[in-house]
Amino acid sequence: MLLVLSDEHKEHLGFLTEVDTAVVGEFGRIAVEFLRKGSNPKIYEGAARKLDVPAETVQHGVEGLMYLLTESSKLMISEMDFQDSVLVLGFSQELNERLLQLYLENRKEIRQILSELSPSLPHYHNLEWRLDVQLASRALRHQVKPTVTMKLHLESGGIRNARVLQTDPATLLHLIQELERGLAELKSNHCRRILRNIK
Amino acid sequence: MRFRFCGDLDCPDWVLAEISTLARISSVKMKLLCVQVIKDLLDEGIDYDKVTKLTSDAKFEAGDIKASIAVLSFILSSAAKHDVDSASLSSELQQLGLPKEHTTGLCKSYEEKHSALQEKLRDSSLRLGRLEGVSWRVDYTLSSSELKEVNEPTIQLRLQAQGAESDTTETTVVSMTADKFRVLLTELKQAQAMMNALH
Repeated sequence: MLLVLSDEHKEHLGFLTEVDTAVVGEFGRIAVEFLRKGSNPKIYEGAARKLDVPAETVQHGVEGLMYLLTESSKLMISEMDFQDSVLVLGFSQELNERLLQLYLENRKEIRQILSELSPSLPHYHNLEWRLDVQLASRALRHQVKPTVTMKLHLESGGIRNARVLQTDPATLLHLIQELERGLAELKSNHCRRILRNIK
Repeated sequence: MRFRFCGDLDCPDWVLAEISTLARISSVKMKLLCVQVIKDLLDEGIDYDKVTKLTSDAKFEAGDIKASIAVLSFILSSAAKHDVDSASLSSELQQLGLPKEHTTGLCKSYEEKHSALQEKLRDSSLRLGRLEGVSWRVDYTLSSSELKEVNEPTIQLRLQAQGAESDTTETTVVSMTADKFRVLLTELKQAQAMMNALH
C-alpha cells in the first residue's frame, strides 16, 4: 500500500532537495537518534547556523523525515511501495536510494520502539499466601472457619503495588478450576488452528 | 517423578540442569558455597568475593555463579519449607544426579541450620498490618466548656501498625473513658487466655 503524504509534510521534506546528499544522510542519522532517545533542539540550531537557514526549516526537515520513517515502519510497507511513495516528492534518484536505505536499515528498531508505546496492564510480580483457621471472635466462640489470605504484588510501568485478598477454600478451588479451564482452551482445536496460522 | 523437597511435585527443569553445574566444583568448595548461601538466606549477608574465589578453579562464568547460588538457595529453602529430613534430601539429590560427596556436604550444612532456616521462613510469612508500637497516656479532665466540673480520667492510645497494602507505618490515635477502656481490657484478656490455651 502507498503512503499518502500531506501537503504540509511534502513542503517540509522539500527542504531536503536544497541540500546535498551528505547532509541528508546526516539528517537521517539525527532523525533515527531522536526516535531512539528523544529530540534535542540544540542540534537544530547548530545545523541551521552551518547551512545558513532558519532553525525552523531544519526542524521541519528532520521531523518530516522522522514521520516518514515511523509511518513506513508502522505499516511495514515493501520496498516498491516506499519508492513509489517517495517518488511523489520529486527527489533525485540518489536521494530516493538514500531514503530507502535509511528505511530498510532502521525498520526493525523503529518497530521495536513503537511496540513499547502501547498501553500495558499491570502484570503479576509475586503472590504471598497463608492459610488461617478462625477459632473464635468476640461474638462467637468455638468456631472452625478456614480462610486463605493472599497478597498479590503487581507491577505496572516500574511501579509496584500490592492487593490483599481473602477467600474461603471452596471459592479458591472454584477459582483454580476456572483458571485451569482457561489454560486448557489453548489446547482446543480452534486455538491451535489460529496459532498455527500466526506462526 | 515426585520429590519431597519440591513439595511432592516434579523437580523444575532448571534445577536439574544446574545440578550438573554444581558437580563441576569439588565437594569441599561446594560445602563452603553452601555455608555462604545459607548466610544469604538468613539475611546475614553473602560474601561475593569468597564465592568468586571458590568458583574460580572450575572457571565459572558470571552466569554459572548466579545459577549455582540460585539452585542452592532453591534446594535449601524448599527443603526447609517442606520440612524434609536430611536423609530423604540426600537420597533425592543423589537421584537427581548430584555426586555423593557433594550431597553429604550439602545435607550436613542443611541439618546444622535446619531450625534457623525454618525460623527465618516463619518470620517472613505473610502478615498483614503488623503492630509496631503502642504508647499510652492517662489524663484527668477537670472541666470543659460544656460542664464546669468533669473530673474524669481518660486514656489516649497511640497504635503504630504497618499498612496492609502499603509498606508504610500508619498511626492511629484513640482516646476513651475509663469504662470503655475496662471493656476493651476484659475482651483482650479473654482473647489472650484463648491464645495461651492453644500454645
